[in-house]
Amino acid sequence: MDFSYTDAQESFRDELRVWLEENLPDGWLDGERELPSDDDERLAFLRDWQRTLADGDWAGIHWPEAYGGRGASLVEQTIYREEMARVNAPPQVNVIGINLVGPTLIEAGTEEQKSRFVPNILSGEEIWCQGYSEPEAGSDVASLTTRAERNGDEWVINGQKIWTSYAHNADWCLLVTRTDSSGEKHEGLTVLLVDMNQEGVETDPIHQANDDRSFNQVYFNDAITTSDLVLGEVDEGWDIVMTLSAYEHAMTSIYTIEQRYLDLLEYCKTETRGGTPLIEKPEIRQQLADFDARIQAAKVSHYRNVSKQIETGRPGPEGSMDLVVSDELRIDLLNFAVDVQGPATSLWENGDAAFDETTGYLRSYGSWIAAGTGDIQRNIIGERVLGLPKDKKSKTSHRSE
Amino acid sequence: MDARLTEEHQRVQETARDFIESEGGMELVRRQLNGEDVVDRLWDELAELDYTAITVPLEHGGFGEGMVYLSALLEAAGRYALPGPLPETAAFAAPLISDLGNEEQKSAYLPAIADGNCKVSVAVYDDETEPLPESVQLRAAPVETNDGTGYRLDGTKTLVPYGGDADTVIVAARTRDSQGYDGISLFLVDTAHDAVDAKQLDSLDWVRPMYELTFDNLTVGPDALLGPLHGGGGPLVDAVDRYSVAAIAMLTGAADRAVELSSEYGNEREQYGQPIGMFQAVKHRAADMWIDMQSARSLVYYASWALDNDEPDAGRAVAATKSHAADRLHRVFADDMKNHGGMGFTWDHDAHIYLKQAKSWRNFLGSPEAYRDRLIESRLAESE
Repeated sequence: MDFSYTDAQESFRDELRVWLEENLPDGWLDGERELPSDDDERLAFLRDWQRTLADGDWAGIHWPEAYGGRGASLVEQTIYREEMARVNAPPQVNVIGINLVGPTLIEAGTEEQKSRFVPNILSGEEIWCQGYSEPEAGSDVASLTTRAERNGDEWVINGQKIWTSYAHNADWCLLVTRTDSSGEKHEGLTVLLVDMNQEGVETDPIHQANDDRSFNQVYFNDAITTSDLVLGEVDEGWDIVMTLSAYEHAMTSIYTIEQRYLDLLEYCKTETRGGTPLIEKPEIRQQLADFDARIQAAKVSHYRNVSKQIETGRPGPEGSMDLVVSDELRIDLLNFAVDVQGPATSLWENGDAAFDETTGYLRSYGSWIAAGTGDIQRNIIGERVLGLPKDKKSKTSHRSE
Repeated sequence: MDARLTEEHQRVQETARDFIESEGGMELVRRQLNGEDVVDRLWDELAELDYTAITVPLEHGGFGEGMVYLSALLEAAGRYALPGPLPETAAFAAPLISDLGNEEQKSAYLPAIADGNCKVSVAVYDDETEPLPESVQLRAAPVETNDGTGYRLDGTKTLVPYGGDADTVIVAARTRDSQGYDGISLFLVDTAHDAVDAKQLDSLDWVRPMYELTFDNLTVGPDALLGPLHGGGGPLVDAVDRYSVAAIAMLTGAADRAVELSSEYGNEREQYGQPIGMFQAVKHRAADMWIDMQSARSLVYYASWALDNDEPDAGRAVAATKSHAADRLHRVFADDMKNHGGMGFTWDHDAHIYLKQAKSWRNFLGSPEAYRDRLIESRLAESE
């Protein structure tokens, strides 16, 4: 057991730090971290940042070197997340392409698909979204009914997706469709790569509780893709869904949560109530200490999961614990960050300039729901880790049953 | 970065489980609960397996191992709520005597600890309701003896775990007018002395009974003073840190067992025509138990490693371990009781054994509230 980093890992960290100092947008490290409020300007800003990362080989570091990545180890990925969180780096606009679609294409795509799509993902030239959830297929995603029918060399797609992050910016979609509804629901699914810039695809942003519009409904009306853009085998798309899901569950956001906690600690050191610094109030100290302890525990649990993954070569169901722990820690921490504002809790933008607590607090509930709700993660732990009996579930996609 | 137990640690855990199973597993605890003192005979067996020697330095006949090794072992022992002052002796006493003792003291105590001939306990509390360090009030007054300046102890210490089984206790006393951790000195006191009387208290946790120790004008020689006069407070805090992490390691093992019990029962027990583990109310509670147990395990492993390596955040890690685990592991045991319905509330079920152990540890040598306060102190000191 050794929680220290090797010299090589420390120099990886140093290299990234130096690069960030030189390449972050002007003024970013000095606290000027406002993104442009105009939608087009913001997208241009984020595309710029994505390209800068790619040019520096700091996008998709976990990708194989042959595909433009660094083949970074799991420990290096951990360091990367920690350092990106430390400087509050701008978000990656192609995060779905880089973290989920790219690795899945590299693992399951044809040579033609890889050479066509993979390079443009890293640079952010083409932004990706993933078409999974539907209005009637949320947690029970395998019961989805968006149809794809073969028509010669083409597939014709009809149906509706929802909660599709970044679809309004996306050029391509990794879309899960139903191509056969005669069998059980996990059978008869096919994954298609679909051009978002066509007449048959329409996106409609969803107005979210945090006043943002980053999720979308996506409508497919006789949308077309070609048969060379089937990912994996026809009717065996569930394998692809599981591949991508494993990449999704292996991510952690504990380092951004830790950074929010450190910001909050700083706030409590400097802010006073009735002349007394918040940090000197016993109830504030108790709460902060509990967050500190939970963050320490979550970080070490993540290290333990990573170490196990290095040994077994694949992420296990333990990733569900990282997810649910992080999501609920974030909710509690950002609630507290809003609560300590006092009466100003009734206002929207009342926080420290470094981040807007109110938006973050509201968004934290969305994070709990995304990538499988906390309830679904608990089912996964209960069933796959503890061996408890599975829920009674419909085996087909026919909802009347 | 490798957060796993080594193969050696895993082997120690397997051996310990095999051994305790061969001794009857939970039957050991049951016998202790029924009033039979199983500690003495069990201790000889633990010494045979060298468990008492783990934290004793090599030059004194031990293994020279640290907290990571010990915590791995105690995690296995904790599944069975193993009776006996192993955390007291191996986590508190042996490292403290190694750090502070003079050559005579080390030679007198450390090989004896390693060989299983010396069980040690901890006597710090004068008052059952006052926390540390205020609870340390007993005065040790200097007296002249044939061997030089000795000390006279006259008073009563309470909440001494396994006080009736221990051969030696480390006593915290004040040697000058002082408050806080200043002015505290530590003494090695042998319980066989005529002027020492041990009385068992009506304890919440019958497996780990608390004792009252009365010192009736006990005079000890200069060789009883462990470490610097008036300067025992700092080392006491360090020893309590190791001891608390060791205790949470045991509770983590117990929590692991409680999760297993709930999972097994969730499959076996049927109501409304299905196994109760199919109901999300039970399934999710079990998942939360597992998450809390894993979180405690993470904290124990990191705190143990940080203590062994004198990491700058070791104090903060210990504070996180005790404060986070104390209440949450208690909840794991309470949830295990709930999952078993009426059976979980019976004396015959093991849930109450673990529950009481966790509650008995909650405020012992530092409440979660006190540790949280200390955690923030450490955090602020780190960031300056």
